[in-house]
Amino acid sequence: MKRLVLTLLLVSLFTLTFAVVKVGITQIVEHPALNKIYEGIVDVLNSSGLDVEIEYQNAQNVFQNAIAIAKKLKTDVDIIVAIATPSAQAAATEIKDKPVVFSAVTDPISAGLIPKFGKNSGNVVGISDMVPVETHVKLIKTIFPNAKNLAVLYNPGEANSVFIAQETKKYGSQIGLNVIEITGTSANELVTSLHANANRIDVAYLSTDNLVASSAEILGQVFEKLGIPVVAGDIDIARNTAVLGFGFDYYQAGVETGQIVLEIINGKKPSEIESRIVSAEALTFYINLDRAKKLNITIPQEFLEIADEIVGG
Amino acid sequence: MDLIGIIEQGLIASLAAIGVFISFRVVDLPDLTPDGSYVLGGAASISLMYLGLPWILCLICGGIFAGLFGILTALIHNKLGVNSLLASILIMTMLYSINIRVMNGPNISVPKEVSAMEEARYTEKTKLDDLLGIKSNTQVSEIEAPTQSKKTLSPFIENSGYNSTILISVIVIIALFSTIIFLRTEFGIALRGYGGNKEGIKNLGINPELMSLVGLFLGNFYAGLAGSLFSMYGGFADVNMGQGVVVTSLAAVILGEIIFGRFQLFYNMLCPVIGAVVYQILLALAMRYGYTIGFQSSDMKLVTSLFIIIVIGLRRVEIKKWLNLKTSE
Repeated sequence: MKRLVLTLLLVSLFTLTFAVVKVGITQIVEHPALNKIYEGIVDVLNSSGLDVEIEYQNAQNVFQNAIAIAKKLKTDVDIIVAIATPSAQAAATEIKDKPVVFSAVTDPISAGLIPKFGKNSGNVVGISDMVPVETHVKLIKTIFPNAKNLAVLYNPGEANSVFIAQETKKYGSQIGLNVIEITGTSANELVTSLHANANRIDVAYLSTDNLVASSAEILGQVFEKLGIPVVAGDIDIARNTAVLGFGFDYYQAGVETGQIVLEIINGKKPSEIESRIVSAEALTFYINLDRAKKLNITIPQEFLEIADEIVGG
Repeated sequence: MDLIGIIEQGLIASLAAIGVFISFRVVDLPDLTPDGSYVLGGAASISLMYLGLPWILCLICGGIFAGLFGILTALIHNKLGVNSLLASILIMTMLYSINIRVMNGPNISVPKEVSAMEEARYTEKTKLDDLLGIKSNTQVSEIEAPTQSKKTLSPFIENSGYNSTILISVIVIIALFSTIIFLRTEFGIALRGYGGNKEGIKNLGINPELMSLVGLFLGNFYAGLAGSLFSMYGGFADVNMGQGVVVTSLAAVILGEIIFGRFQLFYNMLCPVIGAVVYQILLALAMRYGYTIGFQSSDMKLVTSLFIIIVIGLRRVEIKKWLNLKTSE
């Protein structure tokens, strides 16, 4: 009996001194891009050599669950990582005494997570997946100098996409592009809306919209039939649809989020870490010469030189 | 597990369950409008908070706006002779667009205590920028400091002076008892009569159209109230948050009926409340222990449904046993 007590004491002492850091990850819905972020975070934490225990919860797109998950993680883990806007809002509202790291929130300021980018007081910090819209719009103008009407496809139900569409309009009007919004809340609606407006579109811009990402395959076919060139702000979407793509890999966004979590594990406070956008090095430049040839588009040599991924040619 | 938090959430969900109970059980009109009106409640109340109305007024307004769309469903049902289920699907679909208009976007967060806002969107310089002639991607523009005094803060934030559990309990108890009292008045009895026999009450000189109007108003009023309270509690409203509200509320009502049985009005009205709280606890249990026995996150809906089926099944077995004992005596 004595020995048992002694062993128990030793074991508890052991677990106390080598306490495992528990990281809880909450995600709003199963989605390829969001899952990649999750993979990126997990890979960084697992390869860090630290003793980290990860708990993963997915709200399956039920918002009430997102809050229930936040409540559960609040008591069970040390650091909370929230993927996508609703999960992050739920976590930030619910949890005030533990670090909350958000990821894949395009506009964390409107979402009420942080008052500004950079260092903020409080327990919330994270990575925005905002794409360089200005660069995209200028790229479109440079490659398609005669284009007047730019279509932007998105789901009006996604806060991230609405924000990107607004930015597109802002920069588009600055350089004389007329921005046409093609919206839909399902793949079916998007394609119908696209067909209805097809004859007045010169070039289309697809960005990091969840619906566009999941219907990229069919959109690619439709654009090919209609003969409309596409520029994409997301590499996975670009591979399915676009002549040009300039965007980051969501896995990389996950890696950067994971690095913030590591900094916190190593003793930094969330208020000492900058909230920022996914770094520019993570951006990949994609060119599809096969599609360019079909549409009679010439890509200037200087762009080909700096491309990371060229298909065909 | 944070049992108090789970019960709080269950109580908020119970408001929607009371609404569904009224439309499905009391007036017997299947109504899917709450999937949209729940969101409208949240959207309207948070938008009103930005205008500086007291939060309690925002809460009630959220409910009333939602209720108005219940009336619209009833009008389409009555005047155009459309099946109430179909009428409600039309209104629910319509509400998706309306909710985005109300929130001026798909998502809105509760007003925050920020003294000044600074818009600083900086992307790092990308490698394409030189070729495209973009000089610097860094731009900092100051947004005017929003007039702070006008916004209403959520009663659920820290240091608001309210205890969230007591606040939610009080709201649910007021809702529950005022409904019970209402259903006991002459008008309330007529409403229940309408649910029992839609044509028969004409003989008593009661206008059935008015009854359906009031029934669906109340049903959606409570759904909207639940949405408002949930948005204040969760800190945001989102256009997609209404998905499945009717189904989960109905599950809660049925769960409550299994626990309580269908007796007299008072116990009947407790069904949605108890049911919603039990449902939330089951959900939390499934979340807590589902993973440890090898389920993956996408199985969660399967696990919760199975959990409820098992609970219902156990309950039935128990009743049967009890009945057998009685008959054998």
